[in-house]
Amino acid sequence: MVNFTVDEIRAIMDKKFNIRNMSVIAHVDHGKSTLTDSLVSKAGIIASAKAGETRFTDTRKDEQERCITIKSTAISLYYELAKEDLKFIKQPQGPDGENHFLINLIDSPGHVDFSSEVTAALRVTDGALVVVDCVSGVSVQTETVLRQAIAERIKPVLFMNKMDLALLTLQVDKEDLYQIFQRAIENTNVIIATYEGSDSPMGVISVDPQNGTVGFGSGLHGWAFTLKDFAKMYCSKFKIEEEKMMKRLWGDNFFNEKEKKWYKQCNNDMNPVDTRGFNKYILDPIYKVFDICTNSDAGDQKPIKFAEKLGVKLTADEKELYGKALLKVMMRKWLPAGDALLQMIVIHLPSPVTAQKYRTELLYEGPLDDPCAVGTKNCDPQGELMMYISKMVPTSDKGRFYAFGRVFSGTVATGQKVRIMGPNYKPGKKEDLFEKSIQRTILMMGRYIEPIPDVPCGNICGLVGVDQFLMKGGTISTYKEAHNMKVMKFSVSPVVRVAVECKNPSELPKLVEGLKRLSKSDPMVQCTIEESGEHIIAGAGELHLEICLKDLEEDHAGIPLKKSDPVVSYRETVTSESAIMCLSKSPNKHNRLFMKAKPLDEKLQADIDNGDVTARQEMKERARYLADTYDFDVSEARKIWCFGPEGTGPNLLIDVTKGVQYLNEIKDSVVAGFQWATKEGVLCDENVRGVRFDIHDVTLHADAIHRGGGQIIPTARRVLYACMLTAEPALMEPIYLVEIRVPTAAQGGCFSVLNRRRGVVNENFEFIVGQSILKAYLPVNESFGFTGDLRADTGGQAFPQCVFDHWQVLPGGNPLDPSTKSGIIVADTRKRKGLKDQVQGLDHFLDKL
Amino acid sequence: MESTSAFYTDSEVINRKISGSSLRTNDGSIEEVYEIQTCLSWIGDNDFSRVALQFPDELMHDAVNVTQCLVKSLPSKHNIFILGDTSYGSCCVDEVAAKHYNADAIIHFGRSCLSQPVKMPALFVYGRLPLDVSDCVQQLSDILPKDLTNIVLLYDTIYAYCCDEVAEKLHEKYSNTVASRLTSGCNVESSVTDCVQVSKCGRTFSIPSSLDISDYTMVYIGDEGLTLTNLIYSFPSCNFYSYNPATCVARRENYNVNKMLMKRYYLIEKAKDARIVGILVGTLGVANYLEILDRLKTLIKKAGKKSYVFIVGKINVAKLANFMEIDVFVLIACAENTLLDSSEYYKPVLTPYEMEIACNPERQWTGEYPTNFSDLLEGGSYYKPIPDSILTEETDVSLITGKIRTLGQSDHTVETGTAVVLRSDAMAVATQAENAGEFLELRSWQGLEQKLGETPVTKAVEGQKGIAMGYCDEPHINTQQ
Repeated sequence: MVNFTVDEIRAIMDKKFNIRNMSVIAHVDHGKSTLTDSLVSKAGIIASAKAGETRFTDTRKDEQERCITIKSTAISLYYELAKEDLKFIKQPQGPDGENHFLINLIDSPGHVDFSSEVTAALRVTDGALVVVDCVSGVSVQTETVLRQAIAERIKPVLFMNKMDLALLTLQVDKEDLYQIFQRAIENTNVIIATYEGSDSPMGVISVDPQNGTVGFGSGLHGWAFTLKDFAKMYCSKFKIEEEKMMKRLWGDNFFNEKEKKWYKQCNNDMNPVDTRGFNKYILDPIYKVFDICTNSDAGDQKPIKFAEKLGVKLTADEKELYGKALLKVMMRKWLPAGDALLQMIVIHLPSPVTAQKYRTELLYEGPLDDPCAVGTKNCDPQGELMMYISKMVPTSDKGRFYAFGRVFSGTVATGQKVRIMGPNYKPGKKEDLFEKSIQRTILMMGRYIEPIPDVPCGNICGLVGVDQFLMKGGTISTYKEAHNMKVMKFSVSPVVRVAVECKNPSELPKLVEGLKRLSKSDPMVQCTIEESGEHIIAGAGELHLEICLKDLEEDHAGIPLKKSDPVVSYRETVTSESAIMCLSKSPNKHNRLFMKAKPLDEKLQADIDNGDVTARQEMKERARYLADTYDFDVSEARKIWCFGPEGTGPNLLIDVTKGVQYLNEIKDSVVAGFQWATKEGVLCDENVRGVRFDIHDVTLHADAIHRGGGQIIPTARRVLYACMLTAEPALMEPIYLVEIRVPTAAQGGCFSVLNRRRGVVNENFEFIVGQSILKAYLPVNESFGFTGDLRADTGGQAFPQCVFDHWQVLPGGNPLDPSTKSGIIVADTRKRKGLKDQVQGLDHFLDKL
Repeated sequence: MESTSAFYTDSEVINRKISGSSLRTNDGSIEEVYEIQTCLSWIGDNDFSRVALQFPDELMHDAVNVTQCLVKSLPSKHNIFILGDTSYGSCCVDEVAAKHYNADAIIHFGRSCLSQPVKMPALFVYGRLPLDVSDCVQQLSDILPKDLTNIVLLYDTIYAYCCDEVAEKLHEKYSNTVASRLTSGCNVESSVTDCVQVSKCGRTFSIPSSLDISDYTMVYIGDEGLTLTNLIYSFPSCNFYSYNPATCVARRENYNVNKMLMKRYYLIEKAKDARIVGILVGTLGVANYLEILDRLKTLIKKAGKKSYVFIVGKINVAKLANFMEIDVFVLIACAENTLLDSSEYYKPVLTPYEMEIACNPERQWTGEYPTNFSDLLEGGSYYKPIPDSILTEETDVSLITGKIRTLGQSDHTVETGTAVVLRSDAMAVATQAENAGEFLELRSWQGLEQKLGETPVTKAVEGQKGIAMGYCDEPHINTQQ
């Protein structure tokens, strides 16, 4: 604790202009955690010497063992910006020229399986440090997280990491290195431009080294710089302003030594390797340090002299070092990563005041002029409390969690009475709403927890005592008419599932309790009990599930478990219109329903999934959209009875009857039957997807008592089943989009593995010489063990990344025929669920007149 | 229910073929099979003047013969009559029906679930079916592990007459064979001190206190059915072997008890989610049914849920689906009928024990499964008191809906905002109501709409003609593929 106490932090928390909330995001293995460590070392929580080795933010044992971040971790840093640099901050600043800054930093996992953690991290931050490995460049996950960041209106800055690798291992020459940087920056800007036009409310968000929004360096060695650092060194020499100097140090600016003049292009007599501003004034000295240090022996005086020239003061001990060890010390002292990065963060990332102005409209569900919205927009600590809980962090007390989140408006304090609103809360209703006191507010810093009396808006903190009223996240407010803050949208879906079973039935409650804790501790994992009694854990991928199962067994449940192999969940659908008009009669034979099913457009299914077409939409507006986009008959589109399953799913029930009496009277019953039938499909009790059911005609008994729910609900379910069976039913399976980075020479191996696993390559390009990116669709069902297989077939040179992309009809014949492939899947699923082996025949559901 | 057809046509009941051994007992053996002598002396000793005879469907054809036999040998002051259709399972004593005829006593013939009747004197005559004892023992010893010693012999009531014989023979091979006794009606007092008396499902046997019940292997004689399932639930830790005398096949029951219990656990979770509970009275003849009804009502109320009581006679899907507002049903029925596979039902049907686990924090899930609700009452072996008040301090997450839920009566009301939200049609079914009245408000159709002045006056038009199976003016569609 060098320059860092809770009281100090609490004092700065009030200075809302001097707060920066930011997350570190990147592709897996691009060095986020290592880089974060060097930042932490600057803030003084762990000794500077350990930076680069400790992975401070990897708080779990398995994270440290696997060298992979699983959970996102927040730490608070404290930084003092030089007074003269305050002018570089282009956003509103505090009135008193305050130069002390509080930086709340969240280190997030890079592996795609854990990208829900990234989503949760992004929600509570305003800026993002995008780390890119300069050797491998912008990767899939970089794009994914960047896209998410921009969608949440998070301003990015870029850091080109692993320069040490480029210099030491790859021995890239200066101009090539410049080109590598240039390309990575361009790629980043292309992504940014794709997802946010130039008229972004965030202002200019593309990154540019000339503006100082790109950093370079090595997280592992603990050094980094922005052009500003070097501009500062040279501006006196060239007698120009720092800002002007920065412009010279990037892009096509060449310095002619003889003429002592800057040129916009490289003339014949000049070699870009030596004359480009960036190469000459930045890379050259760095290359020299590397050269001198790595080639030094014990007792060599040359590096020490050079160090003096650079103004680096080495201690007596450090003078004894040589080779790589000396290099590390030299670079770290010369260009300390902490300084460069923290400066960049403070100058270029928005303060809560700046960010909340433009983020409020995306964050808040309620009217934008109510006290909550106004308080959030103005970041007003005196306003009504609005806090968003983005995730739950397990405490040492088993089964209890800290609720982790961001205060957007007002001040949250220990003992304060608040309204805790879950995602299903609707204003004016009691569902998912609790009124409780906050037991304690805490500051969360990596592994450490510090109690703090209260936290004003614009800050990130933890709460004790609200965990049991929230499932995974939610909104906390003091205003009694507050609406929810929008729930987070994840970029990955839980499509891989395992069933777990306890060995002894008497341990069932422990298992269930464990599952509850597990589902709380992870923003995305889904733990459910199915009607068959199976306990299902669904996650984004194999790795995600593996971690979840391990946590469950060792931590949350603490009992030995039987685990099934990973399986995927299927969906039931139809592929054509019902061949006949289906009729079912109610048990009393007095009521008849005439219906037909047909498939829904795939794009419409996606629209429903994405919430572009929803049950809550205004009916006419929705009808217009459906008619324009998907050729619906307008009058039919206005008579959508409901969506299903769960009232929101991608199936429609539409009334196309003409002049039927009492129809509205049985609507609730038919809807109930529809929800039931789409939740448990006819083939194997899986959810139904992409089916439109049309009610063509209805005959009802004249007496209300004979057309009650008991008569209609089971009948509706039967007729819907009949509709599906007559409309060429099929199964749908989830499909991954795999992106494989592989040396072009080793591509053959990828193709053969993909072929074996029903993969379809749809894109293949060489992004740098000798390195290719393959994009392919791969059924999730075939993806188990894919990574291992791929590595084996390419000599470990291919790196795949799988993200759920879409649902696709399972090829392989009629699912009703048990000898076909889909028939086998149906039979297996039915067996697992304890259903009858065979799908019940059409005559079970269809009646004759 | 066995098939979906159960919820779509009641004609099944009419067309139902009476299954099993519907062979008419020949006149000579009536005396023996129906234990006429026992009946006569029971009637005579207790001097009942009006005696009802209850037969299950499959024995109905012998009813007249049996009655005649009895009437022949009794003085005319005794009135004997046969009960018709039973309103619940034929395994239970139908006391209500007997009371309608002002009967003093009832003789129950055929398979019995061995539930205790409320107060009417009842005599159980199990009837007899042929059993090849030597084949039975042979078949069983073929499949039973050789090193086995501890066996409990269980049997269907109809084979009770020859169980001693089987037990004796088995005893020769397996040193520690215990035969169970049927104990309907009264409890047998145990006189041996170093033995543990096990009494479940109306069957009693004693085992030495040095051994645990899980050391025993169960051997069951009878066909598969509710009785066997019930027994397997009751002894989840034991291996089961069965011998079916009708087909002369012995086999190991590889019922996955674990799977079954998991399925039932799902129902418990469902019950925890439920806001409105329907209590189905599925018996009027089993002792203590009013007590358990009261207990359930109290418990459900204390757990902060609403309950409504239903009596619908024989249960089927259509009847229960009429009550859309109910989230789960609890069925009060005899031990054998209480485990209802409700997967075809719109809402699940639970046993009282399951409801207790869901609502009573005093009761913990142990993997044991009492199916007889009397065990849950004061004095029963599974009795747990209901706490005075259950408060909502503890919350918990439902793994079915993924929502937070609370148990118990809420101690304070949360102030809700007054902002108006647009009511969405699609919400109608998805939203959960607190009570039936609230549910009605959520429905899109709440009753007759008068629409005064909105409907144009028209002349009466001709309606549909014909019968309900198919009206004349309906379109003729081809349902053949």
